Amino acid sequence: MNFNSSFALPFSVGVMVLFVVITYKYVRWLYRLPDGDKRQIGRNLFSRQTWKAVWECVTESLLHRRIFRVNPVLGYMHMSLAFGWFLLIATGFVETVAYMGWTPVPLRGHVFFKYYSREAVHTEMWQMVFTNVMDALLLFVLSGVALAWTKRVYSKMLGMRRTTRHVWGDRVALTALWCIFPARLLAESTTSAIWHNGGFLTGWVGSLLADAMSPETLVAMESVVWWVYSFALGIFFCAMPFSRYMHIFTEVPLIFLRRWGIKSDDRPKSFDHFQLEACSRCGICIDPCQLQRDAGINTVQGVYFLRDRRYNMLSAEVADNCLMCGRCSERCPVGVDINSLRLNSRYTFHNSPSFRRYDYLRGVDTSQGEGKVGYFAGCMTLLSPRILQAMERIFEAADEQVWWADRNGGVCCGRPLKLTGEVDAAREMMRHNTQLFQKYEITTLVTSCPICLKVFREDYNLQDIEVLHHSEYIQRLLAEGRLKVTPTAEAYTYHDPCELGRGCGIYDEPRAVVKSVATLLEPSETRNMALCCGSSIANTAIPDGAQLKIARSLGQSLEATGADGVVTACPLCKKAVRRGTTLPVYDLAEIVADNLTTRH
Amino acid sequence: MKVTIIGGGVAGIQTALALKGLGHDPVIIEKEDTLGGKLRGWHRLFPVMTPARDVLEPMLKQLRDQQIEVMASTEVQAIESDGVVTSRGKVESRATVVCSGFDLFDATLKEEYGYGIYDNVITSADLEQMMNNGKIALADGTQPHRIAFLHCVGSRDEKVQQRHCSKVCCVTGVKQAIEMRRWFPHSEIYNFYMDIRMFGPGYEEMYRSAQQEHGIQFIRGRISEAAPVKGGKVQIKAEDTLVGRPLKMTVDMLVLLIGMTAGCSNSRWTECTGLSQSDSHFMRPLDMFEGNVRSELPNVFYAGTVTSPKTIGESLNEANAAAMRVAAYLETL
Amino acid sequence: MIDFGFGVNTARAINMDTNDLDTAREIFDRLPDLQACMACGSCTATCTAGAITSFNFRKVHTLVRRGEYGEAYAEMSKCMLCGKCRLVCPRGINTRGVVLLIKKKLGDY
Repeated sequence: MNFNSSFALPFSVGVMVLFVVITYKYVRWLYRLPDGDKRQIGRNLFSRQTWKAVWECVTESLLHRRIFRVNPVLGYMHMSLAFGWFLLIATGFVETVAYMGWTPVPLRGHVFFKYYSREAVHTEMWQMVFTNVMDALLLFVLSGVALAWTKRVYSKMLGMRRTTRHVWGDRVALTALWCIFPARLLAESTTSAIWHNGGFLTGWVGSLLADAMSPETLVAMESVVWWVYSFALGIFFCAMPFSRYMHIFTEVPLIFLRRWGIKSDDRPKSFDHFQLEACSRCGICIDPCQLQRDAGINTVQGVYFLRDRRYNMLSAEVADNCLMCGRCSERCPVGVDINSLRLNSRYTFHNSPSFRRYDYLRGVDTSQGEGKVGYFAGCMTLLSPRILQAMERIFEAADEQVWWADRNGGVCCGRPLKLTGEVDAAREMMRHNTQLFQKYEITTLVTSCPICLKVFREDYNLQDIEVLHHSEYIQRLLAEGRLKVTPTAEAYTYHDPCELGRGCGIYDEPRAVVKSVATLLEPSETRNMALCCGSSIANTAIPDGAQLKIARSLGQSLEATGADGVVTACPLCKKAVRRGTTLPVYDLAEIVADNLTTRH
Repeated sequence: MKVTIIGGGVAGIQTALALKGLGHDPVIIEKEDTLGGKLRGWHRLFPVMTPARDVLEPMLKQLRDQQIEVMASTEVQAIESDGVVTSRGKVESRATVVCSGFDLFDATLKEEYGYGIYDNVITSADLEQMMNNGKIALADGTQPHRIAFLHCVGSRDEKVQQRHCSKVCCVTGVKQAIEMRRWFPHSEIYNFYMDIRMFGPGYEEMYRSAQQEHGIQFIRGRISEAAPVKGGKVQIKAEDTLVGRPLKMTVDMLVLLIGMTAGCSNSRWTECTGLSQSDSHFMRPLDMFEGNVRSELPNVFYAGTVTSPKTIGESLNEANAAAMRVAAYLETL
Repeated sequence: MIDFGFGVNTARAINMDTNDLDTAREIFDRLPDLQACMACGSCTATCTAGAITSFNFRKVHTLVRRGEYGEAYAEMSKCMLCGKCRLVCPRGINTRGVVLLIKKKLGDY
C-alpha cells in the first residue's frame, strides 16, 4: 500500500508539535518535582497503587464515571468523545494490522486507512466487520459531538445551568475538534461513493453523495475533504497542548502521581502544573458554587481560577474570592484539588516574611484549670457563650479534669491567616500554641471549632496529643457511657460545617450525637455536598450582603426539611445560619448539655 | 360609621377615643386579654418620670365611660375592603386603623451578651418589670453595686438585620440609669453607648442631669461580649473609643437596652392587602409628611409604632391624626 | 508616659490640607463598606491581638482614612486575622478585607 499523499501533511505536523510540546512539558514538570516527591514516587512505583491508577485511568479518563454521576447525558457525551475516539484509534490500528500484517505503517497510515486502502479488495467477511465496526464507532463519537453542540445552545438538558466561558485558544481547538468527526464522515463517505468501500454509515452517506453528484465532482471533492479532515486534526493537535484539551493526556500522569501520594501544598510546586492542565474546563464546578448561585459572582469559580492561573493571568481578586468550601472539588470529574492550588496562589500573592511580627506572643498564657484533657475554644467560640457553657456542663457530667487553653482569650490557631496565604506568619501562631499544649502536658486536645481542628490536624506537630473535635469527643463519651442523655421528641436537621465535613471527613459522629437526643432530618444537599454558610473565613473579598444571601439560601434548604431546629458543630456556622433562618440554631454541645440525664 | 382598630395599645386606644369624639363607632380588636399593650409593662416614662399607669389608666377609664366596643383575645387574620377577618369571625367596617405596634428585640439573638445564659444580664423591659414589682435584685437576691447599661442592642445592627435606630432606647437608658441610681444611691452606673440621641423636649436636660447630678458615667463604646465571673458577676469588654484603648469591667448587672423591631403581624398585613413594608419591615406609610398616617389603600390607616419606632407622645399624636384622616375619609363615602 | 493623643505643638494635628488622601480614596473605592464605620469600637474590644498588644484596629483604619499612613502597615501586621471583629461589627464591615487591603496598599510605608 502506498502511504504517500500530500493531504496528510497538516496531520503529521500536528502530531509532531503535539509530541514535542507534551514531552517537553511533562519532562520539565517531573524533573522539577521536589526530591521528597521523587522519592515518594520511587517507593510507590511498584505498589498496588499503580494498578489502581491504571484502573482509574480506564474508569475516569475513558469512561468518565464521575461525570455520569453528575448527569448521565453529560457523562455519555464525555464518554462517547473520549472512549469512542480511543476505540476508533485502537480498532483502526488492529484493522491496519489485519490488512497489512506486522509491517511498519506510518501513523498517517492508521488514521487515514480508509483512504489508503480504497483500492484494496473488500470482500472478506472480517473486512466487512471491521468497516462496520469503525462506522459504528464513528457514529458513537458523532453522537457525542451532537450533544456537545446542543450543550452550547441548551446546557440545562445536560444538567448544567451554566457552562464555561472559554478563552480564544480554546475556541480554536474546540472548533477544530467539532470539525474532526463530521469531516471524517464526509471524507470517508466521499471515498466510499467512489470506491464502494464504506460500511452502513459511510456507505449510506456515500450513496447519497453519489446520487447527488457526478463522478467527476466526487473525484475532485475527495482530495479536498481529506485535506479538510487532515487540517482539522492538525489544527487540533497544534492547539491542544495550549488549550483545555491538554487534559486528555494530562489526566493520566495526574492519576498516577496522585495514587503515588503526591499532593499540592500550601506553597506552589511543580506538581501543580499537572493539576492545572488536567482541568478540562468542563464547568461542572460552576453550578455547585454558592458565590455563583446565590451571590451572582461569575468570574472566580474553580474553572476560571485554574484557567487564569494556567495562562499567568490570575489576579489576587480571583484567588481571594472563594469560600474554599470545597463543593467544587467534590464534583470535579478529574478530582483537581482546587483548594490547595488556590491556597498556594494566595501564598504567591500575599505571603510576606514574618519579620518577627508575632514576637509579642512570647510568654502569653491565659490558660486555666488542670487536666490531661485540654479544651481549645477557638476565637469564634468565645463569641458563642452557649457553646462554652454547654462544654463546661458536659465536662462536669463526664467528670473530666480539663485544662482550658483560651477561655480568657488566647492566641488564634493560625488557620485564618494561613488561608489568606500568609503561611510563614501563621506558623508563628502555630508554634506558640504547640508550645503551650506541650507545656501543660495534655494528652487529648478537644476543640469545638472545625477551623482550629483542621489546622491542628494538618499543620501542627502535636505528636502524642490526640486531637478531637467536640463532636467526636461527645460521641465517644456517649458510647463509653460516661455521658447519658434523655431523648426528646424534637426533630433537628444537621448542617455540616465545610471544615468539619469536607475538611476533616467528620460526618457520622455529629449525626450519631444528634440522633441520641432527637430525630435527624437531612437537607437535600448534605454530607459531602452540604451547603456552605457563607461566612467562611477563607473569603476576605465578599461583603456582608453576599454572606447574608448565601446564609438565607442555606436557611431555606434547612427549613425545607420541616425540622424544629438546626444543629451544627461550628461556632461560625452557628452565627451565620442564625442570620439565614427563623428556626432556632444550636451547637451540638448545647443539645447534649440541655438533655443530660441527671445522675442519682 | 363603624371603624375597626387593630391593636389595643396606646395608639389604638387613643384612636378609638378620638374617633368616638368625632361621632364614629370604633371597635378595638386586641389579641391579648387586656388592653394597654407594651405600656403595661413599663414603670415610668421619660423624660419627667410620669408613672406609666397615670397615662394608661385615665385612657382606659374614658374607654369604659364612652362604652367603646373592645374585642379582646381576638386575633386579626386579614384586612379586607369591607372590614377585617378575625379569629372570632368577620367584623364589618368602613375603615381600618392598624395600630398593631412593634415587638421587643429578642436579646438572645445577641448571644455574645449572654442574655438567657448568665443570670444577671437582663433587658430594659425586664428592669421595668422589676420596678413594677417593686424589687430590683440580682439573681441571688442581693443588691447590685456596679451596673452597666448597653445601648443599641438590636438597633443599628446588620448582624441581626436591624438597621434602623429604635429612637427611644437612648433616653430610656438615661432614664433607667437615673432610676437605678435613685434605687441604689451607692451604686456605680455606666452607660455604654455609640451615639446618644436626645431628640425630644427635656431629653438633653435629662442626659445632663444624669451626668452631673446623678453621677452616671457615659463610656463611648459598644460592648463586644460578656463573660461570666465567679459569684454571678459579668465581665464586659468594650473599647473606650474616646481614649482609644480596650476596656474591661466586671459588673454585677448588665442591662441591655433592647430596640424595637417591626411587629410580627406586619408580614400578614402585607400578604392580605398588598400594603408595603420598609426595609426594616415596619409598615410603609403613604408618605413621610402629609400622608404619614395613611396607607396605600384609601380605607386603611396607621397610627403608632406600626410604621416606625416612636415615643408614647408621638404615638398619641398619630392616633389623633389618624382619627381625623379616617373621619375625613368617611365623609367622602 | 501616658499618650493622650494630643499635644501643644501644631505638628500633632491631622492636616487634611497637606495629607495625601489618594491611597485612602483607593481603599474606599475597593471597600466602600469601611465608610459605614460608626466607631463603636466593638472590633477593638473583641480583638485577639488587641488584648495582648497596643493594636487598635479602629484607630489605625481611621488614621488611614485621614491620610495618616505612618506605621499603619506595622500596626496592621499585628493582626492575627482571626475574624472576631468581622463577627461583631454592627455595620457588617469586611474587617479582615480591610486589614489585608491596608497592608497591601501601605506596604511601602
